[in-house]
Amino acid sequence: MLLAWRNLFRDRTRFLLSVLGVAVSVTLILLLAGYRAGIYRQASAYLDNTPGAVVVAERGIRDFLGTTSALPPTAQEAVRRADGVERVIPVVSQFVIFERHGRKDGFFLIGYEPSAGGGPWRLIGGREPAADDEIVVDSTTARQHGIAIGDQARLLDRDATVVGLSDETTFWAGSIAFARITTLESLLRAPGLRSFLLVTPEPGTSPEALRDRLAVPGVEVLLKADVIENDRKLMARVYDAPIGLMVGIAFFVGVLVVGLVIYTATIERRREYGAVKAIGARNRTLYRIVTTQALIAAAAGAVVGVGLAYAAGAALMAWRPQFRVDIEPAAVGVVLAASLLMALLAALIPARAVARLAPAEVFRG
Amino acid sequence: MNGTWLLARRNLARNRVRLLVSVGGVALALSLTLALDAIYAGVANQLTAYIDRAGADVWVSQAGVRNLHMVASWLPDSVTEEVRAVDGVAEATPILYSTDTIAAGDERAVAYVIGLPPGAGMGGPWKVSEGAARPGRAEVIVDRGFARKAGVGLGDPVTILGGEARIVGLSEGTASLVNSVAFVSFEDFRSMRGDASVVSYVLVRIASDASPEGIAAEIERRVAGVTAQSSTAFSVEERRLVTDMSADVIAIMNVVGFVVGLAVVALTVYVATLARRREFGALKALGARSRFLYGVVLVQASLSVALAFLVGLAFTGLLALVVPMTGVDLELAISAASLVKVGLFAAVIAGLAAILPIRQIAGLDPAVVFRRGAAL
Repeated sequence: MLLAWRNLFRDRTRFLLSVLGVAVSVTLILLLAGYRAGIYRQASAYLDNTPGAVVVAERGIRDFLGTTSALPPTAQEAVRRADGVERVIPVVSQFVIFERHGRKDGFFLIGYEPSAGGGPWRLIGGREPAADDEIVVDSTTARQHGIAIGDQARLLDRDATVVGLSDETTFWAGSIAFARITTLESLLRAPGLRSFLLVTPEPGTSPEALRDRLAVPGVEVLLKADVIENDRKLMARVYDAPIGLMVGIAFFVGVLVVGLVIYTATIERRREYGAVKAIGARNRTLYRIVTTQALIAAAAGAVVGVGLAYAAGAALMAWRPQFRVDIEPAAVGVVLAASLLMALLAALIPARAVARLAPAEVFRG
Repeated sequence: MNGTWLLARRNLARNRVRLLVSVGGVALALSLTLALDAIYAGVANQLTAYIDRAGADVWVSQAGVRNLHMVASWLPDSVTEEVRAVDGVAEATPILYSTDTIAAGDERAVAYVIGLPPGAGMGGPWKVSEGAARPGRAEVIVDRGFARKAGVGLGDPVTILGGEARIVGLSEGTASLVNSVAFVSFEDFRSMRGDASVVSYVLVRIASDASPEGIAAEIERRVAGVTAQSSTAFSVEERRLVTDMSADVIAIMNVVGFVVGLAVVALTVYVATLARRREFGALKALGARSRFLYGVVLVQASLSVALAFLVGLAFTGLLALVVPMTGVDLELAISAASLVKVGLFAAVIAGLAAILPIRQIAGLDPAVVFRRGAAL
């Protein structure tokens, strides 16, 4: 053990490099995992912050973000009259592409009735829309596009006035904007259109019981938690493959870097290892030294990496507020385990060099 | 320079593990950037498939709508006739469009649902491998891949637009990573929308002697409340949706790939120089200048990075071949622009990595070679 420590610390630059190697890959993995968690959390922002435990959608539709739902005209009244229903929030949602400064940005335009709820939950400026040509936009998006309250924004074939700025509504690929439900009806040329109903059960009625009880033709009745989960799955289809690939590469690079550093250290201490072997040490002892070195480098690297990840996450969010990085304790645990795994795999690279060492090496030259 | 090359090459080849690690690490880092670019370029290709293959020369949409993906475009019914009346318009077909979920059995997928008028000359599926090419009432044409995943075929029911329809045709080339395309009849679609007298887009075929851009401009002049674009321009707008919306993600991943690549090459070159201290010292003792030694280090770094670039390219190329075979609706397209960018990255990486050991070399004492027992 002592030999392992001394050997490792003798060349400080090299030790630093190997710690840095692990740290960079740990940072990378944590950052990517945090970015993914952030995407998922942002995705459910609207449903999380809007009252209601049961969602009513067009038959066949089970997510909130991916599709355009259109309920049968009678659905809203039927749900409102059903037993065990305390509150119904009707919304119309439509993905709209907004162009400014030559750049396209997508946003989910939510149409709601101010008297029923379902609008912005945190206004940091201005007010809710009171007329059909008024909208509330996300404050981060507004800042980036230089939009202020009172400005005109182009909404498909008409102009709307920005009357409020909302917070917590920035999104992985755009943001959420709010308008009155009648604005969307006229914009989409569909009077009476309702996309979703967010339903709150009466006290004493569980969401599950209400879901099972609501029998309205042509609709899908789901728990809000299930809809959120389905949105996640939809997004996972798009995001998980590239992010998984990148995490894999980061992990592999970490293994290579630590392995390489320990390998070089081992090769260069060949004479010393030869001497240890010549005085009767078994290969096992040498393996232990190499493994201990790798573990020390990995442990130090992991600690530095976790710190770096938090710093980089904060920097990223300051630079681009629409990116949310949520580094979860569970992810930190997994990454710490992964760095130990990295270290053990990395130790395999130099192990062969040690095993091949002839004790006579020390007497040569 | 010959001596530099020879020494650099030998130096590299002597320690194969180190070379492998160095090349492998950088190759992975460069692949990260290359593969991500290729994925997004592929997604952009897939996304414009319907626009490119629908057969229209000009697309007419609600004013301000320049895209198709997930958006809404609703025009009054009368627009179709107004467009038809414009000089140079040979044929105009209205379609209805919405992004919806289609479900069959346990399989659900997001789909562009297109409502086609009877006998539509444009906007229908361009390759039908089985069954009909135009849907009738309560009928649907779905993507073959979706049908396979859901385990359904001709005659089976699917849930679409909140109702039920029977599969009468299977189309090909109509699926992307995000969604597929399904075709239903105009009447079915309209009744789902409360029988409102609206259309989504009007697809226009122009007279053979007209230019799409000219006709598009003419339509915008003559018909109120519409945006008209040539199919090519529409396709470009749709691609921009992917590039603009993924620009930040790509930028971040580029930085990550760059930093990782740099870290690996810098480390390996540094370690290699460190390990060859005695040899470099000997060369210095023999009268070699520091400049010559820098040259060796630079060539070493460049060789590793060049090799890594080739390996990374091969890896991404292989990925582009293998991924479509796995049944994932993902296409990877390697563009020249992305190759140039990653090539530049590689060159900068090699240059920076070579700077790191300069101090070591400059500070190298030629006498180091004569010192006995110097542990290296």
